[in-house]
Amino acid sequence: MLNRRAALGAAGLLAYPAQAWALSGKSRVMNAMLTDDPAHLNYPLYNTRIMQEICGNINESLLLFDWQFKPHPNLARAFEMSPDGLTYTFHLRTDVQWHDGVKFTARDVVFSCGVMLPQLNARSRAAFSHIASIKAPDAYTVVFTLKEPFNAFLLSLMASNAPMMPAHIYEGTDFRTNPYNFKPIGTGPFQFAEWRRGQYIHLARNPHYWRPGQPGMDGIYYRVCPTPEQRLVAMETGAVDIAMADDIDTVVTSRLLANPNIVARDDAYNGTGEIMVMELNMRRWPFSDRRFRAAFLHAIDREFLVKAINFGQGKVAHSPIPSTTPYYDDKVLTKYHYDPARARALLDEMGCKPKRGGVRHRFGLMLTPDGDGAYTRGAKYIKQALSEVGLDVFLEATDYPTQSRRSGNWEFDCDNNNYGTYGDPAIGTSRFYLSSNIRKGVPLTNLQGYINPEVDRLFAQGAVAISREEAQACYSRLQQILTHDVAMLWLYERKPLFYYNKRLKNVITGPNGPGDGFGSAALA
Amino acid sequence: MKLRYIAARLVKTVLVAIAVVVLSFFLIRLAPGDAATVMAGQSGYADEAFMKDLRAEYGLDQPLPAQFWKYAVTVAQGDLGTSYVRRQKVTTIILERLPNTLLLDAFALLVAAAGGIWLGSMAARRPGSAGDSAVTVLSMLFYAVPQFWLGMMMVLVFAVWLAWLPPFGIETMGSDYTGLARVGDIAQHIILPGTTLALYFLASYARLTRTAMIEVADQDFVKTARAKGISERQVARRHILRNALIPLVTYAGLQASILVGGSVLVENVFSWPGIGTLAYEAVTSRDNPVLLGIFIVTALLVCLFNLITDIAYSIADPRVELGK
Amino acid sequence: MNFARRFFSRPAAMFGFAVFVAIVMIALAAPLVFARGPFNIVGMPLLPPGAPGLLAGSDILGRDMAVGLAYGARVSLLVGVTSTLCAVGIGILLGATAGYYGGLVDDLLMRFTEFFQIIPSFVLLMVLVAFMQPSLASTVIGIALISWPQVARVVRGEFLSLRSREFVEAARVLGMRDARIIFTQILPNALPPIVAVSSMMVGSAILTESALAFLGLGDPNLLSWGSMIGGARSAMWVAWWTPVLPGLSIMVTVLALNFIGDGLNDALNPRRRH
Repeated sequence: MLNRRAALGAAGLLAYPAQAWALSGKSRVMNAMLTDDPAHLNYPLYNTRIMQEICGNINESLLLFDWQFKPHPNLARAFEMSPDGLTYTFHLRTDVQWHDGVKFTARDVVFSCGVMLPQLNARSRAAFSHIASIKAPDAYTVVFTLKEPFNAFLLSLMASNAPMMPAHIYEGTDFRTNPYNFKPIGTGPFQFAEWRRGQYIHLARNPHYWRPGQPGMDGIYYRVCPTPEQRLVAMETGAVDIAMADDIDTVVTSRLLANPNIVARDDAYNGTGEIMVMELNMRRWPFSDRRFRAAFLHAIDREFLVKAINFGQGKVAHSPIPSTTPYYDDKVLTKYHYDPARARALLDEMGCKPKRGGVRHRFGLMLTPDGDGAYTRGAKYIKQALSEVGLDVFLEATDYPTQSRRSGNWEFDCDNNNYGTYGDPAIGTSRFYLSSNIRKGVPLTNLQGYINPEVDRLFAQGAVAISREEAQACYSRLQQILTHDVAMLWLYERKPLFYYNKRLKNVITGPNGPGDGFGSAALA
Repeated sequence: MKLRYIAARLVKTVLVAIAVVVLSFFLIRLAPGDAATVMAGQSGYADEAFMKDLRAEYGLDQPLPAQFWKYAVTVAQGDLGTSYVRRQKVTTIILERLPNTLLLDAFALLVAAAGGIWLGSMAARRPGSAGDSAVTVLSMLFYAVPQFWLGMMMVLVFAVWLAWLPPFGIETMGSDYTGLARVGDIAQHIILPGTTLALYFLASYARLTRTAMIEVADQDFVKTARAKGISERQVARRHILRNALIPLVTYAGLQASILVGGSVLVENVFSWPGIGTLAYEAVTSRDNPVLLGIFIVTALLVCLFNLITDIAYSIADPRVELGK
Repeated sequence: MNFARRFFSRPAAMFGFAVFVAIVMIALAAPLVFARGPFNIVGMPLLPPGAPGLLAGSDILGRDMAVGLAYGARVSLLVGVTSTLCAVGIGILLGATAGYYGGLVDDLLMRFTEFFQIIPSFVLLMVLVAFMQPSLASTVIGIALISWPQVARVVRGEFLSLRSREFVEAARVLGMRDARIIFTQILPNALPPIVAVSSMMVGSAILTESALAFLGLGDPNLLSWGSMIGGARSAMWVAWWTPVLPGLSIMVTVLALNFIGDGLNDALNPRRRH
């Protein structure tokens, strides 16, 4: 093998694509890509999609979820809920060990859910605030007692929200500065092996992994590949085996779909259920007026946005929760179709009339710094569409720190964001509409300043509803109110494509996609 | 005499370096926003206490002159500070990337010089011919073409359409070639970016060579040589080329200086892991220590290249006295 | 006029002038012919040139590339000319001072100029623009700040040689103040090389502006040729015309300006041919 490579390289005459394919032909190592080195590898500390995709292999959760979002055993081999919905008992597997050999026990669960996750992760904090106590009657049993029934409790244990962290490593330490943030310890199918900054992160197979027959691969390399074009070439030449959400610009979708060696799927991120949105600062006129927000949605052609600007990836969003999740209720939604005439009428009605030059109102749109990628292009289309109804938008270029600061401190007119809903409104949706979650300086909160007491009440009620029907009733009413209020400008549900080399199988096994790790992936 | 001159130039280089450090430091500090927000934004943990710790750790809560003095002292010891974004030493990062840029620049210089001199001497042999005009026209075209666009056209033709050459990076990603295989791999990758960089300068070399050779060919000593019956070739090689060397050497030095700081665009288009892409990343991520480090290192290299050019110039033409 | 005859006698200069005038006319006519502006989305993205109604095809957002090219000319010319004027202004001020007074003032100013030459100028430009936040103003100011040394050097050279001439002595004897001497006596005589170098500078300013826009450091509210190319980095893989056409536009414009510059140089300095 080495001689053949040397010959290929030395000859240098072989067309390079064939050369690179020769690399990945035989090995049982999966190659993936990173746009940039993450700041660290402690997923609860800073949960970006990239961290989740890497740490999904290292850290596991108590439960796994199928395509219908039903829970299945994982680190917990069995679980039951008391009839009153207040007590959840988890029976842990006894054959699981951390990557450093220490046994995984109930102590780790109590520590993770009781201490570390609520402290670091806003979503966990919100979800686990329903917990009254966590007890471990023995080394392999954990009992959660809730203050009131919380029907999304099991979903909140999804790997994207509640990965189990090692108590013997983190307990009593400063989580932000713990050195294991750079060499994480988990229970998952792959363990941390090496991190060469600017080049790659190498995960090696966990030889003591508790699932028989897994992992199917010997290791994973996450190679730093800074530009979308580089990642395209890497995928096309076979230098990498998978391309995850947003790795590759949507514009070249047609090229990849035409490639016989590559398979694509659009359901790998259903678990996160991201919706691309625009947020308006409702503390300022005219954003405070419902009619302005309705006019905004009428003025833009979201079908065109998905089909043309985003090259078909996505689905127009008519609700704050994605159509792929259980509580979505199409019947109650107020939908705002593309209708510029209606937009103008609404703006006239609310007193936002055209002044000199035909401009009704001028405001800023804070761009997400993604080069000239999907966010920026979408924003440019929206600017264009809004100008047709007399709204003059000026685009504000920023960088991540500035964007974070300005949105947290409410120093914006309109911003562009992308929020995950995580399967249940109580986990991923309520945080943006609850008046109690208006917290200055903190991202991923109710940045708009939307206040509706009935919405507050319904979210609270829906979360603790014992029966499915009761919860559905609450969430249906919520969708009705929120869409009538245009509580946020939902643009489209993101369905990013996940590409993989056809030589791989079992790469995506559930709605969490890469977030559940690649333990089951193997060479076909 | 020469030694004294060189020593004086070295002293001047050090003074320039100091000036660069001072002016760059204060220029970059003028930037709005501060490092703590950058770093905190990076790790997603942005509460005030954390940022205060960061500021103390990086000495950002000190008054500006104190910060500068501290920085100057560490620089004098060869330590260029620590990157805000990568948490690595700036010297390490720069030393990782600098050889890649120097390799690319060296390749570009060789190709430009070799190609340009060859083209120029061909054109000079038959002044006024179609070939000669073609060289002049090409020269003008390459002056007017945006380098980054030229690079993209190379990618378009040789990678997108023909798939002959790799368009990005210095090595095949994920390969672990050693020895000759690695050299071959890098050679494949350097062709497109190196040629893109070279073309702009190639035109200049061609013009310089052509002009110098035409001028020299008219001079008496060449006519004498021809009259004596020495062959065309020998005349060209021995006399003309040697005298044309002076402007060429000067230009090579100029090219080296330009390239060291000026390969940002080509490196960016080809994702070449050099100083150029490092500079761009540092600017967009507000990584001030890295930026300062790049300014200092580049300035020093430019001074060095200028010095070498001057020395080479004086060797090539003994009539020239250094310092005049 | 002797000058005009000399200038137009060179075919290259004439050609360059004609092309430049054409580009200026396109730039001026753009808002009249394409009143809806270059950001107007007209249809599906990435349609090839020759598609119905699209002479130059559509770009990644479905905008008419022909309109974009026409408006891009406005940005390029505006930035090119404005930044060159600023650079020339700064260069004349500093160069004249250095050349006229000589001595310590000259030394200090020359060291200052050298600093700008030794620092990697494009990196410095990126730093300036990024920190001033990308906009039309920061682009113009940034380019002016890195281009003035060229002008200053030329001006200084001229002033050094002109300041010891008789007419300057005469002016001094008459009691004219320094500033007046500089601006009314010496400067007019120093203009020819300044004009020649300025024309080349407009061309290189256009190249620099397109480079900044390409990197995403230009004004995000303006469509310029460089930003068209920058936006085509991925699109190029499925639609070749998206970077090719704007790049050709830049090349033709700068080429024309270079021809003009060469012609001006020859026409203004008939004795200084090289």
